[in-house]
Amino acid sequence: QVTMNVGVAHSEVNPNTRIMNSRGIWLTYALGVGMLHIVLLSIPFFSVPVVWTLTNVIHNLGMYVFLHAVKGTPFETPDQGKARLLTHWEQLDYGVQFTSSRKFFTISPIIIYFLASFYTKYDPTHCFINTASLLSVLIPKLPQLHGVRIFGINKY
Amino acid sequence: MVQIFRFMPNTRTNVFCACATSDAMTLAPADAGQQQDGVRATVGVSGDGASLLRGILILWIIRLLFSKTYKLQDSSDLTEKEIEEIIEEWQPEPLVPRMSKEKPAPSYNIVSGPPCHKITVNGKQCINFASFNFLGLLDNDRVKNQALQSLRKYGVGTCGPRGFYGTFDVHLELEDRLAKFMRTEEAIIYSYGFATIASAIPAYSKRGDIVFVDEAACFSIQKGLQASRSHIKYFRHNDMEDLERILKQQELEDQKNPRKARVTRRFIVVEGLYMNTGAICPLPELVKLKYKYKVRIFLEESLSFGVLGQHGRGVTEHFGVNIDDIDLISANMENSLASVGGFCCGRSFVIDHQVFALLAQKAISDYVLIVILSQGYCFSASLPPMLASAAIEALNIMEEDQGLKVVGESISPAFHLQLEQSSGSRESDVRILNRIVEYCMDRKIALTQAHYLEKEEKFLPPPSIRVVVTVEQTEEELEMAANLIKEAAQNILQ
Repeated sequence: QVTMNVGVAHSEVNPNTRIMNSRGIWLTYALGVGMLHIVLLSIPFFSVPVVWTLTNVIHNLGMYVFLHAVKGTPFETPDQGKARLLTHWEQLDYGVQFTSSRKFFTISPIIIYFLASFYTKYDPTHCFINTASLLSVLIPKLPQLHGVRIFGINKY
Repeated sequence: MVQIFRFMPNTRTNVFCACATSDAMTLAPADAGQQQDGVRATVGVSGDGASLLRGILILWIIRLLFSKTYKLQDSSDLTEKEIEEIIEEWQPEPLVPRMSKEKPAPSYNIVSGPPCHKITVNGKQCINFASFNFLGLLDNDRVKNQALQSLRKYGVGTCGPRGFYGTFDVHLELEDRLAKFMRTEEAIIYSYGFATIASAIPAYSKRGDIVFVDEAACFSIQKGLQASRSHIKYFRHNDMEDLERILKQQELEDQKNPRKARVTRRFIVVEGLYMNTGAICPLPELVKLKYKYKVRIFLEESLSFGVLGQHGRGVTEHFGVNIDDIDLISANMENSLASVGGFCCGRSFVIDHQVFALLAQKAISDYVLIVILSQGYCFSASLPPMLASAAIEALNIMEEDQGLKVVGESISPAFHLQLEQSSGSRESDVRILNRIVEYCMDRKIALTQAHYLEKEEKFLPPPSIRVVVTVEQTEEELEMAANLIKEAAQNILQ
């Protein structure tokens, strides 16, 4: 089956591969980002450009840590640890590139980046921070970088 | 603009490379480095560079939205006609492969009746030198009665795995008793002896871990190692130098790549008494190697449980090794305990984290860990309660095996024989010892109990038989007396 849903029994060996296809997870993710933005907006010290930059940076940081830094699975899988050295992004859909969830998670940081650069009025400092943050999250998603560990960082 | 097209030509081929090999770890990052430089250059110049970047990003989004979306189960490239053709061509293999005329069909020797001391094979009555009935508990009346009682109470089977209404009080009691007997913290029961070690090994050792195992390991260990998908390194049978050699090799490799070594778990799997060769493993040396090279020991004690050691606790008691040094002990209950199934026992958590700093897994013998991870435990029906009760009764018989102990120096001409376990009161102890004395007197050996004026003594010694050895007794007489006392103790105390 292509999707794995909450409350439904599944025979998936590694649920990490299918979780981003499951019903409602894209909406949950979008609402989560919206919630982050609203929380940041409600802090009185931050101006709107700062809030947008912060949203972008925190979102990209979270995405980097959970999708590209942490390896393996939080549960034991019956395949004796096949995905032990793979990040979540590499585990998605068993390594098949250009699937719908991969496309969604590649496009969403770009959308957030465009919104952030619009609301920061293209200010150079904000632009630099946002661009660097976006690149840190877009480059690991390239199919050429599947399984690549630069300078051996995070290899084991 | 030109930079975008560098993405496109390689991606299709790289996609299939990534799908085909599940451990695709090395794809050449040919474009990434250059791309990174180009982008950094564009960002440095703010106005033009930033809008160039934005242009690239918008084109990238458009490309993603309009290119083909791959799904996991992609349909194959064959047309309907081709699929039909292939199905037509297919010839099924015969269910039973053709046997060659030279190899004879396997024939079994049929046993009628219980395979105890005297066994009836193919209609002929023989003395049994084949079954693993080490303690003779197979035909024991007490064990059989207990099993029958349990059968009347619980029925025959359990109809469920341990996690799904298959856990009975007899299972918990047997686990508790085994843990107490082996002096470990926890024990768990498996319902099939072969599957015990074959499920325990892959519960701890996964892909990328290293297992050092003896060449003469039994088949269930081999199947467990195969299921674990770990790296297996064999050392020559019972050869500790060979084991040290490969451990040293591994240590050198670890020093070259310490980060990989930090996430690799290392295990040694040995048997207490090897089924294939009948040899005993040198456990003290193994424990020394364990602490020197920081590996965990898994000990398979199917044949040595109930056989070695003063009380039958296995090869750890035989060598006097501290049971906490062994990380996991796994044994069959089908040999000495004359039941079915197996058990694993060990510590609840790793004691000293410093010593095992190189090992990533924190709790190796955690009861909860093996319950969750061991597929042989979770996914098969639990042990029938009558077999569990039979095993408990067999354990009782093993534990109450009381005898006489010798108190005194070996060069002393007078020494005492005391009961190992007092039967409760001094009078009953005295009576038991009296029976032993009478037994020996009937067979022409004069012994006496040590008599005291019980109320007058300040510190009353326990009741005992006092044996005196003089210069006038010959070697033969000494032998005869020793054998007779042993026989008396066996007859009266069992």
